[in-house]
Amino acid sequence: MAATERDARTTTALLTAALALPGVLAVPASAQSVPETGVIALRYLDYRDWQPGAERMRVKTPSLFVLKPLSDTTVVEGSLVYDSISGASPLNHDTLSGASGIGITEYRTAGDVKVTRYFGRYAIGVGGAVSSERDYLSRAGSVDLRWFSEDRNRTLAFGVGGASDRINSVNGVATDRARQTLDFLVGVTQVLSAEDIVQSNVTYSTGHGYYSDPYKLLDTRPDERRVLAWLSRFNHHFARWDSTVKLSYRFLHDSFGDDAHTVDVAWVQPLPRGFVVTPSLRYTTQDKADFYFDPPFPRGFTRGGLYTADTRLSAFGAVTAGLKISLDLAQGWTVDLAAHVYRQESSWRLGGGGSPGLEPFSARWIELGIAKAI
Amino acid sequence: MQLYRFEFAAMASRHELKLWAEHEPQVQEAAAAAIADVHRIERKYSRYRDDSVTSSINRAAGVAAVEIDAETRALLDYASACHALSQGAFDITSGVLRRAWDFRRDPPMLPDARTIEELLALIDWTAVVCESTRVYLPRAGMELDFGGIGKEYAADRAARICTDAGIVHGLVNLGGDVRVIGPQPDGTPWQIGIRHPRAEAVIASIPVREGALATSGDYQRFFEIDGARYCHVIDARTGWPVSAWQSVSVIAPLCTMAGSCATIAMLRARNAEAFLQEQGVDYLAIDREGVVHGTLARVPTEFKAST
Repeated sequence: MAATERDARTTTALLTAALALPGVLAVPASAQSVPETGVIALRYLDYRDWQPGAERMRVKTPSLFVLKPLSDTTVVEGSLVYDSISGASPLNHDTLSGASGIGITEYRTAGDVKVTRYFGRYAIGVGGAVSSERDYLSRAGSVDLRWFSEDRNRTLAFGVGGASDRINSVNGVATDRARQTLDFLVGVTQVLSAEDIVQSNVTYSTGHGYYSDPYKLLDTRPDERRVLAWLSRFNHHFARWDSTVKLSYRFLHDSFGDDAHTVDVAWVQPLPRGFVVTPSLRYTTQDKADFYFDPPFPRGFTRGGLYTADTRLSAFGAVTAGLKISLDLAQGWTVDLAAHVYRQESSWRLGGGGSPGLEPFSARWIELGIAKAI
Repeated sequence: MQLYRFEFAAMASRHELKLWAEHEPQVQEAAAAAIADVHRIERKYSRYRDDSVTSSINRAAGVAAVEIDAETRALLDYASACHALSQGAFDITSGVLRRAWDFRRDPPMLPDARTIEELLALIDWTAVVCESTRVYLPRAGMELDFGGIGKEYAADRAARICTDAGIVHGLVNLGGDVRVIGPQPDGTPWQIGIRHPRAEAVIASIPVREGALATSGDYQRFFEIDGARYCHVIDARTGWPVSAWQSVSVIAPLCTMAGSCATIAMLRARNAEAFLQEQGVDYLAIDREGVVHGTLARVPTEFKAST
């Protein structure tokens, strides 16, 4: 299921994720030395999506994250995730007939480990990840190198990663299909002043293999994909209120044709008694893939040609609004609660031209996290 | 026109109604009436309820005849037809076999021949005395079990209630047994997925504009011992589960018919396809090796993405 339900661009962007963590934990993204303390964090995510008249998917994800300095120069981090995904008709059907009811539940287990070694003005990290589901197995590895300027105000980052995926769809359409991806990352982080920090990363991902969705009738996608992404971030700290505004813009160019622009803004506001509240807003506008065809299905399909009716590859605009509240407690404990809502509509595409004939798609997710410094 | 979905639980299963309507009050009323009827049928025929018709008939086994209404009479007539069509393999007096086959037991255990024999003595639809307003189970310990037809019957009734309430486009899905009320408003069929019998996925996708699609399978209640699967679809003549098919799905004008055809096909084992062809229904049958057979098998194969 993940072969298709997951946005390939997020899984192949292992490096981007590893190097550009937006300060989820107390450890800043571009740490320039081994952190003093480690962290162990437990998170629980409850995700639900739906379209008018139809509830679609429910995902529940407990996850565990650990970061531990092994010495003055080496730190290890890793995480374990266990998804359970259920829904009345998750595979593009109106309903299901079966001997045991109307629903389907699937499970995914994933883990990753990374070790980083610091050598004064350099740091080298090596990581590996595995994600496993009944019909999909992904293994990935990465190496990244960071260089720090003498005054520690600038960091240059270089990274290379690779992933190898194997797909065996349970309906027999994709038997032992494979996909390999290679990713490259170049990035710079620059502290501009005591209040300002800017970061810019370019990632290039090239892959070949099986990209079609075996659970969608007639779905035939190219067997190559190249994605270029440029992500820029800017944080400004307001000393007077002790708050931080975080802005980011990501441009994505995809050989499939579904280019996208994403703008993010968040405001981190500490409050008395150790509370921090962070409202956030994100807007994405996306082109449709070159081989995406509007409904009704299967208009546009020609035998031997490329085709998809997958609405994730349609042209649309989407907004995500979120609110996170965290609380620092005594003895290194932190708890946080975050809620997000997402809505995607064809008419929200910037400049018009959204794909016709599609219902709006909505989702909400709630996360609860507990962390302890170790 | 908007699509409304109602999900509810009954008969130890989850169900859904998908109904198109102009006005919310209309669809709420239709759904409420349909759901109320499903609960009514559950209360009336559940063997787990002391106050059900089934329980009152079973309590009087070997003792006295019990008065029944027209609805129960009609269901018994229908069960009789199923018994004949299945050559005795489908028998609504076979519910007693649950005393031999405990699918919740851990570790699972096969029943011994003696237990089966004793229970077989209580399984005999032809011995049940059916009069126009009364039914009598002649031997103490005999039981009627409407589990094999109740849900599909409820689906047909729910669809009828919705139609009577003015719903023209919609479907009813009771625990995997689907009855279409009418196609989508633009005339296109509903896309119904058939569950894969061995995986949490869809094995086939069937467009249905009207009628019903019901599935019988060996994966609802079962245990496995030494690699062999023993499921809850049990041949009433032998007292043992069938194993020729992992799952059979049938399209028929009524859900009751589709469901019985699917179950009887499972019970007819090697003769399943001949039986289904005789009934003139479209079907999808997955054999014990996982190979797909049937007239509905052509649909997904034809549309498989080129590899």
